[in-house]
Amino acid sequence: MSQTLSAILLLLFILLLLGYAALGRRRPALFRPIPGFDALGEAIERAVEAGDRVHVSLGTGSLLGPEAAPALAGLSLLSRIATRTSMSDRPAVVTAADGALVMLAQDTLRAAYSRVGAGQRYRHTSARMLAPSPFAYAATLPVLLATENVSANILVGSFGPEGALAADFGRQASSFVLAGSDDVPAQALMYATAEHPLIGEEVFAGGAYLQLGALHSASLRAQDAVRLILVLVILAATALRTLGLVG
Amino acid sequence: MKLGAYLLWTPVAVAAGWTVLLGYLLDDAVNPLADLRLLLLRWAVWIAAAAVLMGLLNLLTVHWSKISLLEPGWPYSALVLLFFLTTLVLGVVFGTDYPIVSLLFQYVQLPVEASLMGLLAITLVLAGVRLMLRRRHLTSAIFLVVAVLVLLGTGPWPGGNASALQEAIVVGRRWITQVFAAGGARGIVIGIALGAITTGLRVLLASDRPYAD
Repeated sequence: MSQTLSAILLLLFILLLLGYAALGRRRPALFRPIPGFDALGEAIERAVEAGDRVHVSLGTGSLLGPEAAPALAGLSLLSRIATRTSMSDRPAVVTAADGALVMLAQDTLRAAYSRVGAGQRYRHTSARMLAPSPFAYAATLPVLLATENVSANILVGSFGPEGALAADFGRQASSFVLAGSDDVPAQALMYATAEHPLIGEEVFAGGAYLQLGALHSASLRAQDAVRLILVLVILAATALRTLGLVG
Repeated sequence: MKLGAYLLWTPVAVAAGWTVLLGYLLDDAVNPLADLRLLLLRWAVWIAAAAVLMGLLNLLTVHWSKISLLEPGWPYSALVLLFFLTTLVLGVVFGTDYPIVSLLFQYVQLPVEASLMGLLAITLVLAGVRLMLRRRHLTSAIFLVVAVLVLLGTGPWPGGNASALQEAIVVGRRWITQVFAAGGARGIVIGIALGAITTGLRVLLASDRPYAD
């Protein structure tokens, strides 16, 4: 039963994604403003002009398991950020706590530089595994931020409570901090410490706001449509249960 | 990346992703993909284990490069390398249960992580105050008031637990955490799950290609 429901939901998602992607060409979506993504472009430009680095953190999660999803969203953002900083004297630096994510980040950086004809500027040390455990990862961040002249700090990945410390270290280094995680308690902590916290599914919305492609915009519209369906199902189930029509 | 490599990796990655996903959705008894799914998952675990080694090699390379170029902060890198290699050699030669390796974890790694957790508590208090100075709007005020109420309703009070005010705060805290916070968190979790599904589907539809571009 649950397999059938999952298959139906998956099929619905795919149809909505492809449908909205096709519709998006004729009727582009209008999204509500998210201050963090609005300010991101300006922060990157400031960093490039000042010769500072942009730091992208893919979180302290692993590529295996559910925490991979926000890291994949972070990799999408990295692709665009790397392109925009490729001509800077100090290109973007990427960190993670998982070796597999570091390898994907290296590949993303290499591809982004090649796309803009700056392949020779790629350095494999631009993507780094700082430490394999969450708090050890957070502990190493202040040194990185200070020695690499980071002025824009983008934390998009899976973080636990250490994400709040990572965001606060960025603030102490006087850098722009955009922070999002898939972990609800971590989001609450980041709300307090980050300059631009990403709440809920906003951590997955970067691709649509940075216009990475039709499927990114379609993703947000599909999520909203499915969310509406789920809300209606929950309300109907609550009403039926309250009226005693179901057990 | 050259066009040929791109054309090779994308179908392989997409086919592997769909095989694993469909393997979950079909019943195991009538599932021709069940064995293939398990094989691919086993490969993924092996590759992830190899990626840990690659990550450690990356860590070594980065810090060695900083030391050899005498970049700012190179003494920190030298310390990292020294302790990394010492722990590695002790662990490989004598095993992970060797007393000195255990001591390093018990008296270096664990206290550092515990003190960072303690630092987090102080950081959050300061961040809460800064929040009101930096973002002066209703949500910040609600955030702070709720945080203070939950703290007051959770911790012990100096004058004992009998006062009517404390009883009211404890009831208020329960109401906030079990109704508003739990409901809000469930809504956020549903949003995150939907976001994760679409992110995964973009990879399966080869729109996002973190493995090659």
